[in-house]
Amino acid sequence: MAYNDANDCWDYVSIMWNDLQAALFLVFKYITRGSKGTTILTILVTMLAFLQINLITSIFSGAINLAYKQVKDNYVSNIVIQPASDEDYITQASLVKSRINSIPGVISCSSRYAMGAAISYDPDKNGKDVKSIGWTIKSIDPDEERKVTNIQDYMIVGSYLEESDRDQIIMGREISGGFGASLEVQSLRGANIGDEVTVQYNNGIKRVYTIKGIYTTIFPLSDMGVFVTEKEMESVLGVHNRASEILVKTDPVYSEEYYMRELRLAGLDKQELRPWIDFIGLISGITQSFDIIKRIVYFIGLVVAGVTIFIVIFIATSSRRKQIGIMKAIGMKEKIVILSYVFLAFFYASVAIGLGMLTLEYALKPYFINHPLLLPMGNVSLLIIPADVISSIVSMLAVSIVSGLIPSWSVTRENIIKAIWG
Amino acid sequence: MISVSNLVKIYEGHVPVNALKSVSFEVQSGEFLSIMGPSGSGKSTLLHQLALLDTPTSGRILLDKTDVSNLSDHMKTDFRLRYLGYVFQEYALIPELDALENAFLPLMLLGYKRKDYLKITREMMMKVGLADRQRHLISQLSGGEQQRVAIARALVNNSKILFADEPCANLDTENKGIVLRLLRKLCDGLGQTILMVTHEPEQREFTDRVLYLRDGRLEKEEKISEEVRTNALQHGYRTDISEPVDEIKDPPDAV
Repeated sequence: MAYNDANDCWDYVSIMWNDLQAALFLVFKYITRGSKGTTILTILVTMLAFLQINLITSIFSGAINLAYKQVKDNYVSNIVIQPASDEDYITQASLVKSRINSIPGVISCSSRYAMGAAISYDPDKNGKDVKSIGWTIKSIDPDEERKVTNIQDYMIVGSYLEESDRDQIIMGREISGGFGASLEVQSLRGANIGDEVTVQYNNGIKRVYTIKGIYTTIFPLSDMGVFVTEKEMESVLGVHNRASEILVKTDPVYSEEYYMRELRLAGLDKQELRPWIDFIGLISGITQSFDIIKRIVYFIGLVVAGVTIFIVIFIATSSRRKQIGIMKAIGMKEKIVILSYVFLAFFYASVAIGLGMLTLEYALKPYFINHPLLLPMGNVSLLIIPADVISSIVSMLAVSIVSGLIPSWSVTRENIIKAIWG
Repeated sequence: MISVSNLVKIYEGHVPVNALKSVSFEVQSGEFLSIMGPSGSGKSTLLHQLALLDTPTSGRILLDKTDVSNLSDHMKTDFRLRYLGYVFQEYALIPELDALENAFLPLMLLGYKRKDYLKITREMMMKVGLADRQRHLISQLSGGEQQRVAIARALVNNSKILFADEPCANLDTENKGIVLRLLRKLCDGLGQTILMVTHEPEQREFTDRVLYLRDGRLEKEEKISEEVRTNALQHGYRTDISEPVDEIKDPPDAV
């Protein structure tokens, strides 16, 4: 017999294809004729690991996203323009706003005045139990503000300000102290609509306002706002056509950085431009913590999935050590054996991922939409971010391949005699 | 067909074991050779070296004029697949595959098309008397049937040499007879070269020649006479069950 290395005779691709077919044939038989219990259990545990990764990360993503959305929708919008450091106000506010609105992608903008004040509430109107807090009162142009924040949609009682309102004030529930407010440190402890509050502005001017409305967005930062109309504040401050800050609502098609560049190009190069992220305050710590937990859970889930598949393949290869030795003895290449176990691990992971995706999309997601988690930033539902899911799928498949590769490689490296006879 | 010169195998370890000590012999094409000897005499070690399952420490092995002593692991694997068949003592089959699938595995590995390897394997299954058991899982077959599947697998690739390591060790008397007569008929009908390790003197009577090993050395040879062989075929391990192979004339399709 004239023997030559097979590589000299056969086309390499043909050999590879043949090896692949043989490995697929074996894995198909392992799955269809092997232990159904082992297969189901492995897939189940791997699916749970996949769900753990994606459920927890989706909850945290949902919480982080909601917090950011609350900041943008109900607190400071996308960009806040503040006066230059050596100025108290942005001057010629109307002109500035028209410049801002002319920038493509800017949805709208709204100017505000802000003034420190002492707010007093005397529920019994007898001066015996006066509740007083020091806070910043802001002014809004109701028509402009409607296009920039959504506070008007969250009135619990009463109504939103009108442009002509002068002796009216609205406030968030955390300031009123009622309606389920949770932060009692700075609150009027139960003020309601129709009640009068006395406001002593820092410039010495004192006004009495009737509470026109109380709102809640369920987001503490936003629910700590106190607002009067722009006209009222201008009369208090004795200024006109100025602003302490201008909120800019932008189309999300571009980033805040892009709009900030455009704003500077439009002549706002002396004012301070700050994106919404600068105003998240204590939420920053929470979101950072969530992000860290998310990564830890992600890592643990991957390890659990990897270890599960590794153990299953390890047991499968160890218990088939003799069989693998025999397969090698009849002329099966090591790579076919390894490929078959890698495919087996890949199969477990793929089915687990598929079932996990179905569970996530058609069971858990609808459940959390109907039963959101009540967290400080609002009602949190799942936010399934495709990039995160794809990343988890790719990671799990990669882990499964490694989990199939290591034990099978280890066993196939054994001497045939040792593998068969121990 | 087989030429072995000065074959030495030393198992390294704390105390090196010299399992084969300069063994030399030749086997003719179509010969049915049995290797006998007490436990630890080196008969299985010798078979492992010849079947390329292990690497000898020194010496030379020619299989059909090819020097296989220094082939790489990859080349040994390919050589085993193309030219050698091996029947293990225990029924070394893959439990997740049925009888036919176990038997056609070598042809699948060689890249045969499905219709071709099914045709060849079905013919081989008929020759080993398992035409009606092809689709049975291994667990549904008796020990003798499993060993016949292993023989079919070892021969389906038209192997030049069949190595059998105590193929009847775990079989009852009836099945021993079936397997030995099958091997004999493969040898006579197909001209199959067979090397069989056995420890039962009765089994040697089915073969052409016996090599006796003791302490890793070739102690003696014994030629089995035609008369003894014929008698063994007629009466050895004889039972009243039907023979699995009525006629073996044509070898399986050439690879």
